[in-house]
Amino acid sequence: MDELDLTGRLMADMDPQLLKFLQAKVNSFVKWDLVRFFHDNPHTTDTAGNIARYAGRTADTIRVELAELAQDGVLEESQLGDMAVYSLASDRYVRDLLEQFVKASDDRQFRVKVIYHIIRGTR
Amino acid sequence: MERIKTGIPGLDGMLCGGFLPQTANLVEGAPGTGKTTLGMQFIYHGIVACGEPGLILTFEEFPQQYYNDAANFGWDFRQMEQEGKLRVIMTSPEVSKADLEQVGGRIERLVQKIGAKRILVDSLSHFERLSRDPAHLRSIIYGFVNSLKREGLTAVLTRESMALLGEAEEGGDEASAFLVDSYVLLRYVEIESAVRKAILVLKMRGSDHDKGIRQFDVTSRGVEVQSPFEGREGIMSGSPRRMADSFVQAFVRR
Repeated sequence: MDELDLTGRLMADMDPQLLKFLQAKVNSFVKWDLVRFFHDNPHTTDTAGNIARYAGRTADTIRVELAELAQDGVLEESQLGDMAVYSLASDRYVRDLLEQFVKASDDRQFRVKVIYHIIRGTR
Repeated sequence: MERIKTGIPGLDGMLCGGFLPQTANLVEGAPGTGKTTLGMQFIYHGIVACGEPGLILTFEEFPQQYYNDAANFGWDFRQMEQEGKLRVIMTSPEVSKADLEQVGGRIERLVQKIGAKRILVDSLSHFERLSRDPAHLRSIIYGFVNSLKREGLTAVLTRESMALLGEAEEGGDEASAFLVDSYVLLRYVEIESAVRKAILVLKMRGSDHDKGIRQFDVTSRGVEVQSPFEGREGIMSGSPRRMADSFVQAFVRR
C-alpha cells in the first residue's frame, strides 16, 4: 500500500469539517497544544511569554504558532499598550469546531490520525 | 449601611455584617490556610444567595483547578459559568492591569456582560514581579485596585505570606495593606502540638469590626469561623501561651 492510499484510508472516516480544520489550522504539535489550552481556558487573554509559561514551553517556540493561529482565525491577536496579546476567537463557528476537535481528540484512533497528519505535514 | 456578605457567618459577624460595597479587601495567609477557599466562597455566596455574578481573576492556577476545588464543597462553578453568572479568567497581572486601564477593555466588557458585582483576584502577590521599586509597585497596585472599584466591583484580593507561624517576614509587597479597605489575616497557630488556624480582621476602613482572634477551619462546607481563642495570648506569634502561664512568668517567678 502506498502512502497516499494509507492517508486516504486514515482520513476517510473523519468528519470533513474536522479534517479541514486539522489540515488548515492544527498542522503542528505546538498548535495542537495551544488550541487545547485555549479550549480549556476560553477567557484567557495574554502575551506569548505568559501563554508559553502556562503551556510549559518557551516564548520562542510558540510565538510563530500563535501568530499563525491568529492569522487562521482560531485566535485573535490584539495590541494592549505595547503588548501583543492573544485570546480565543469569539466567532461561534470557530469555537464550535474547536469544541468538536477537542472532543474528538479524546478518541485514541482520532489522535493517531492527527499525529499521522502532523508528522506527514512536517516532512 | 449596605454590606456585601461573604457567606461565612462567623466572618460576616467579625466584619459587622460583611464587606462594604465597592471596596478592595485583602486576605493574607500562608499556603494552605484557605485564602482561595474564602475567596471562592465569597463569589459562590454572591451568585447563589445575592444574585450577584462574579469574576475570578487567576494569575497562576488553571480554571480547571477552581472547578475541581469548588466541586469539593458542592459548588458547581462550571454550571455557573454556563449560566453566565461566573467567569474564571486566567491571565497575568500586566495584561489585566493594561486591560483595565483601557476604555472598554475585555474585563470591563465582561463585567457589563454578566453584570458582575464581585471579583476574586488570586493573588495580588504576582504583581510583585512587575516592579522591584516599592513606590512603583504601590502605584501599580493602587491603580489596579481603583480600576476594580471603578467597575463597581467588591473585591477579595488574596496575598501569600511565607510565614507559616508567627510574624510575617520583611520584604515583598508591604504597601497593599495600606491601599485596601479591609485586611483579613489567616494564620497557623500551634497549640499543644497541634496546628490550628486563626483569623483576624486587622483593619476595616469606614466601619467597626471585631478585634478578636478566632479559630477557623476549612470543612466540607467551606470556611467556618468558630469561637475566639480563650485563655491564651500571643496567638499571632504562632505559638500562643496560656494566660495563666504568662501571669506566672510575669509575677510569680520574679
